[in-house]
Amino acid sequence: MRYRALNDVRVVDLTHFIAGPYATKLLADMGADVIKVEPPWGDGGRKLGPHRAGVVEERGGLFAFLNLNKRGVTINLKHERGRELLAGLLDGADLLIENFAPGTIAALGLAPDDLIAKFPKLSVISISNFGQDGVDRDGKLNDLVLFARGGWTFPVGEPTREPLTPPGSLAQYVAALYGAVAAMQALAARDLGLGHGQHIDVSILEATVATMIYETVTFQYTGILRSRAGKRFAVGPFLIVTLKCKDGYAGLHCVTDKQFEALCDLMGRRELASDARFNTALNRMLNNDALLEIVEPFFIGRERKWLYREGQRRAIPLVPIPSVAELLEWEQTRARNYFETIDDPVLGKLRVPGTPLRLTSHHAEASRPAPRLGEHNREIFGALGVGDVEIETLKKAGTI
Amino acid sequence: MNSIFGGKLRVLDISMGWAGPLVGQMFAEMGAEAIKVEDTHHFDWWRGSLSMAPPEMQPIERAAVFNTANRGKRGVTLDLASARGIEILKRLIEVSDILVENFSPGVMDRLGLGYDSLRAINPRLIMISMPSFGSDGPECNARGYGNTVEAMAGVTGLTGYHDGNGQHYTLSNALGDPVGGLHGVFALMVALRERERTGRGQLIELAQVESLIPFVADAIVDFQFTGKVPPARGNRHREHAPHGIYRCAGEHNWIALACETDDQWRGLARAIEIERLADDKRFADASARKTNEDELDAELSRAFCSINADDCVARLRDAGVIAAPVNSAPAVMADPQIQSRDYFVAIERAVVGTHLYPGAVARIPDTPLRADEPAPLLGEHNRQILSELLGMSDDDIAELERSGIIGSSPRESRMA
Repeated sequence: MRYRALNDVRVVDLTHFIAGPYATKLLADMGADVIKVEPPWGDGGRKLGPHRAGVVEERGGLFAFLNLNKRGVTINLKHERGRELLAGLLDGADLLIENFAPGTIAALGLAPDDLIAKFPKLSVISISNFGQDGVDRDGKLNDLVLFARGGWTFPVGEPTREPLTPPGSLAQYVAALYGAVAAMQALAARDLGLGHGQHIDVSILEATVATMIYETVTFQYTGILRSRAGKRFAVGPFLIVTLKCKDGYAGLHCVTDKQFEALCDLMGRRELASDARFNTALNRMLNNDALLEIVEPFFIGRERKWLYREGQRRAIPLVPIPSVAELLEWEQTRARNYFETIDDPVLGKLRVPGTPLRLTSHHAEASRPAPRLGEHNREIFGALGVGDVEIETLKKAGTI
Repeated sequence: MNSIFGGKLRVLDISMGWAGPLVGQMFAEMGAEAIKVEDTHHFDWWRGSLSMAPPEMQPIERAAVFNTANRGKRGVTLDLASARGIEILKRLIEVSDILVENFSPGVMDRLGLGYDSLRAINPRLIMISMPSFGSDGPECNARGYGNTVEAMAGVTGLTGYHDGNGQHYTLSNALGDPVGGLHGVFALMVALRERERTGRGQLIELAQVESLIPFVADAIVDFQFTGKVPPARGNRHREHAPHGIYRCAGEHNWIALACETDDQWRGLARAIEIERLADDKRFADASARKTNEDELDAELSRAFCSINADDCVARLRDAGVIAAPVNSAPAVMADPQIQSRDYFVAIERAVVGTHLYPGAVARIPDTPLRADEPAPLLGEHNRQILSELLGMSDDDIAELERSGIIGSSPRESRMA
């Protein structure tokens, strides 16, 4: 979905893969004119799975989602004429967003500070694995190693087994959010006071650590290091746990005294609320294993739907754990028209997550599909005064 | 050094937990004046429980998570069950730019604080509502917190060991909360920019679960391509091997590593002196290693268990392998890269003393973010805020204290 709130903002998007493209997608969904600049061989993110069977060319499914609402051009930045075209795009742009390894764009003669000096309204947002400086700035990283290094993995999994990593690329999306917020911060600083752009540095590792406050700060307060507690979030003054039920798994988040009393009621065991082992938060922590032993068999005998309905009726945060297939059919997302059906020019019809931000100042419009490689070369370079003849020449030379 | 808002933007935060409070905290980082409103009966539940320690220990001032998520705010208490409390809150809203709330759907209307009535007293007000599952729809009243939001967003269903028989696990950091908060900050920045143009505020709705679902877009699309629900992969990768977490010498010393190329695999074998495995045809190329991954992991587990973890990571990195220790919290804080960029900031706060807190993420040179102010005590700034912003006299404030509309010590819930 797409709003028009940022339709006076122009973004030159040099990002690739996930963290950068999701940051610029957030801006594009709010109406910013995002021009995705790819090398003539394409964003490596086009090759990311999942792929539709038999369709290996042009894009995978994640690319089709991450690049909605953007226009696309191709430029080889190693060519001098390519850099001139980029300068043409930057003239009048508000933001340049990039997620190359630190030093890469400077080596191309596009050092952020030089660009800002040349285009004073422009801010440059750099999203990188470790930030633009520091002893390990040039280290290697992937999702598994990022989660481990950033502290998300240590407390997850069975105590008798290896720690368990979170799935997918979650932390890269978190960094993308910090990047999108930073873009808005750059615009606010420019428009409300400074009048000129800035170069903002966002580290994916720091974004990962920023969202780990349960560990870093709590450990200093208590001296207690949370260790792997299996299906439990932790052994604490609460019961936060994923429980096997008759037909799958349910998630229970029982924290307050009231929620605990309601849980006892749900299980038909009201006497437990005044049981000396469980009657205070502290006692529930000290006797957490015993509590779990009572709750587990109750869940195993019941269906998710029943647990969800009866739990929520008693104001217990208790949910069925859906698969992505069930998520697409969840009545709540259906009723809110959350998923958007896009008609992708390569992959066909797909249901993708809609924008989570619901502004009331505008009506949401349908998304535009992710651009084909170089789809808007003629349109965008044409506006810079590049004629059809030169476009053909640049194509042959491999510049676009 | 200038801040972005230079105290010229006022954010009123009546939310609880992490998602909503993070919004106010990040605006405080930008130099906005952020005010946390709590009820002395129903104070922010992230302060924890009164039953965790005797009252003289002030247990609700010792919650690390509350003290992190509410940094940089001033704190005021109001009894929101009383007409007088609501009236004072409305007067604060009248002089604010942003209102952040994450009550269950319908609560704000019941309190007489629906957006339409607030807009009437402050047309420039931008209000963000952050319910867990949305303000409408058949299940909008379902209770959700960070972990339940995470489950309903499809994340938990993907979290499990590759051979875990379907058992799912909760992430360690209640991811739905910060993700909701970050989206909220982004949305408000967009709305503020619009207000500069139009002069009008607006209501923004952000269902927390909807903000986390995009993070599993790949699995959602995968299901549509294949008709199969993608399985939990544990520490393994769809294509690459080795890709896992292995125990080194000692009890709790785990390392994570990934080889994405044959060169990295051969580098790994050299680095830990298991060249015979690099020559083994079961592990010759990526597809062979993937096919024989159980055997590969067994071999690696044997090889790593006698090597010191730090030494091992250093050798692997030298060999071009992607590797890191599985860091505990203190290890994260001691990480050389985290240290060399001075990421954590020291803050002194009443009751608990001085600790290190995660700093602001974006490094903005001319208008730096500031994450080094403490979180307020319950009702700490009652007097200051009510006199400064609403021009109340000492007598007015004393009267509010006497009648329990404001206060600085927690009271047991009336339910008890």
